Amino acid sequence: MILRRLLPGLALALLAFLGAGLLGPGELVVLNNVVVLALFAVATNLLLGTTGLVSFGQACFYGVGGYTVAIAWYQHWAGFWVSACLAPFIGGFVAFLVGMLVLRSRRWFFALLTMAFSQLFFTIAQKAYDITQGDSGIFGAMVPDWMADPRGGSLFIVAVATISILLLWLIDRSPLGLTLRAIRDNQRRVAGLGVNTYAVQLLAFTLSGAFCAIAGVLTVVNQQAAYPGMLDWVQSGDPVLVSVIGGMYSFLGPVVGALIYQLGHDVIVRITTRWQLALGLVLLAVVLLFPDGLAGLFRAEAWQALANRVLRRRPA
Amino acid sequence: MTAILQADELVKSFGPFNAVDGASLQVEERSIHALIGPNGAGKTTLFYLLAGYIKPTAGRVRFNGVDITGLSPNAVARRGMVCAFQITHVFPRMTVAENVTCAVLARHRAQHRFWAPISAAIRREADELLHSVGLTALAGQRAGTLSHGDQRVLEVALALATSPSMLLLDEPTAGMSPVETERTVALVRRLAQERALTVLLVEHDVNVVFSISDRVTVLHQGRVLREGPPAEIRKDPAVIEVYLGEAA
Amino acid sequence: MCRERAGDGRPEPATTRGSGLRPMTLGGIIVQLLSGLTSAAILFLVAAGITLIFGAMRIINVAHGSFYMYGAYIMASALTLLPGQAGFWLRLLLAPALVGVLGAALEVLVLRRIYQREHLAQLLATFALFYILADLAQQIWGNQYRTVPVPPVLAGHTSILGHAFPLYSLFVIAIAVLTGLAVLVLLRVTMFGWSVRAAVEDPELLAATGVNVKRLSTLLFALGAVLAGIAGAVVAPLQAVTTGMDASILVAAFIVSILGGLGSVAGAAIGSVIIGVFQAFGVQLWPQWSSTFVYIAMILVLAFRPSGILGQAE
Repeated sequence: MILRRLLPGLALALLAFLGAGLLGPGELVVLNNVVVLALFAVATNLLLGTTGLVSFGQACFYGVGGYTVAIAWYQHWAGFWVSACLAPFIGGFVAFLVGMLVLRSRRWFFALLTMAFSQLFFTIAQKAYDITQGDSGIFGAMVPDWMADPRGGSLFIVAVATISILLLWLIDRSPLGLTLRAIRDNQRRVAGLGVNTYAVQLLAFTLSGAFCAIAGVLTVVNQQAAYPGMLDWVQSGDPVLVSVIGGMYSFLGPVVGALIYQLGHDVIVRITTRWQLALGLVLLAVVLLFPDGLAGLFRAEAWQALANRVLRRRPA
Repeated sequence: MTAILQADELVKSFGPFNAVDGASLQVEERSIHALIGPNGAGKTTLFYLLAGYIKPTAGRVRFNGVDITGLSPNAVARRGMVCAFQITHVFPRMTVAENVTCAVLARHRAQHRFWAPISAAIRREADELLHSVGLTALAGQRAGTLSHGDQRVLEVALALATSPSMLLLDEPTAGMSPVETERTVALVRRLAQERALTVLLVEHDVNVVFSISDRVTVLHQGRVLREGPPAEIRKDPAVIEVYLGEAA
Repeated sequence: MCRERAGDGRPEPATTRGSGLRPMTLGGIIVQLLSGLTSAAILFLVAAGITLIFGAMRIINVAHGSFYMYGAYIMASALTLLPGQAGFWLRLLLAPALVGVLGAALEVLVLRRIYQREHLAQLLATFALFYILADLAQQIWGNQYRTVPVPPVLAGHTSILGHAFPLYSLFVIAIAVLTGLAVLVLLRVTMFGWSVRAAVEDPELLAATGVNVKRLSTLLFALGAVLAGIAGAVVAPLQAVTTGMDASILVAAFIVSILGGLGSVAGAAIGSVIIGVFQAFGVQLWPQWSSTFVYIAMILVLAFRPSGILGQAE
């Protein structure tokens, strides 16, 4: 029975592996982008769709993960494997510290504060020239040679992302996942059951940060660069909008969203430069018309609800 | 039989107005005790006082001999007294089974475990709980889509997940059809017996009260008017006078 | 997906460009202070709009920075239409006015539909607007950065106790003060102002009083946009006008409005002055890190009064 639930995910993973093995270099970049964004979005969705925590700051930990590898290389502090393995722990630790502060706030303020932390780390990355090279970012051969090769790098990215998403799935199915969903539905009630909801949310925030950091490491493998723009609040918005577009209440929704986003991006930029306009319009449409995300397009209910709303608006 | 819950001279003032004005109450262990009274008598306020949702201006509450006056509902729940309210607070997007599982997890303090799936033992306990309240057939349905009556039953299941010794029910049959009322009455009676529970319920439906309770307390203007077995209460002239004009 | 980022967006205090450690004479201190006030002025104008909109309507608009950017771009590009001295003043009026119209239009077309929605929907919808407005700006004005000359009457320096200080910066401070006072008067004297203040106190009660809430919302949103537009228009000669201005000012302005208390224009003023002055003096001691002060301030307040500053709006 569990296998049946895993089937769509396994199928996607299989496709990704095939892609990594067969596609040409140009397409491999696209595949890598999709996979990394998918992981980033699933990790963010642990907070967003599962717990109901709208964090517009996950780029903070994503960037920390990426910069861990980049700085370790640039400063000759550690080799790739050491820094890559450390990155999730550092990302998780930073998330723990940030979470301790921001989780005491409620809804609106939580979102704003996460944005602020994202922006703080962005500013740090910009200003700590000695360590981060500031605005120009860190470029160079920071990954092992076989990973710098497009095929090798892609296989590595797909493998790590698949394992990470699988782990996130296990977390989703665990007691923690259930409790998080309950907190999303009715936090007070969960507290009434005797649960320390702050601690549980902090745990989720830490885990999410760790996996976002892994996504950051993979992005560095993909582009062999780290730059401050990875950390600002606009970057933080991307995994959120990807999750919402794909459907934040289903585990694979963010993956679907990443596919749509990246493929849509590549199609659109071939036709026009107005990618931002397209993204904005699609996002607006989804928010206004398909609140359950585009994954819901495959279910009749979403269309029914839409039809109802449109029909009710027509003058009688 | 000892008194498991004892309230002494509880007072709750809201400004110059005393919603509860020196009410004392004793609930015997393993009994079903009803709290009735006309509108505005202070039943709900007393209910909240006992459970810890509001703090009394004066007076004490003792549960199992321990003073619980002023403790938070959480703390009170941990000592074995839980409530189920009229406004249901279930987890709407999760299934009925998931709702109950969540409560069971909380009881076992296992809610933070992220490294392994939910254990079979916990699932079994949740299933058993669902079975005992008769919701097994609805286990896979989203809690938010349940009828109000079923949601209240789910609420009771959630309350029972903590293995309490006492259950407080706030108007358990409010807004229910006669069929649902029957069902609820039977359920409460059966659960009280099977789980050795003490039950205190606030009720408006006097038929329910008289069919299920071992003792009845009548509240009027914040004070206890009468207390005794149902047969006595229903014949008591003072009680009847207070209820004149109320639909009996 | 890369976007152009233009640094932290807030104007660098005038005296930081190429200066070393400044001797702390009284004149030196005053000049540093004024420099901080210049940054504060810009921050205040953006934050004032945010605090009113958020305070009265409980809506986070992450596209608020776009109004700021549009104010600057209009100021820059209308140069060809309205050149010269007189043109400067006309453009200074035109830019915020156009931005105000844009704000009103967005409120009617988009924001009205999301007031009742959960805050995620509001964040995402305004995020979508952010992208759309960024794209439009790129279409209209391209990717090159622009500079706006200071009008001759405001050019040059004045001497304060022996230290030079740009006249234009004084002008910026003056504009912010005048605008702030005008808004405060508006809030105290007009029906509109009273309704806004009532909405800040209790948004739900407002509808019951018979106020035309729809019109109020549109006007208030337009006012916020105008304020941000003024900020952009006056900052244009101080720094390069680029894409990325919209993103970079936003978070700082939000922090300032939270720190000052949501719905309080005076609070936004105090908050921005504190941040601006801190930053100006901090630049002497920790030149690299002065831009982080606003975030550090937020962290400190968070650590010690997590619900205190935020308590107002719950």
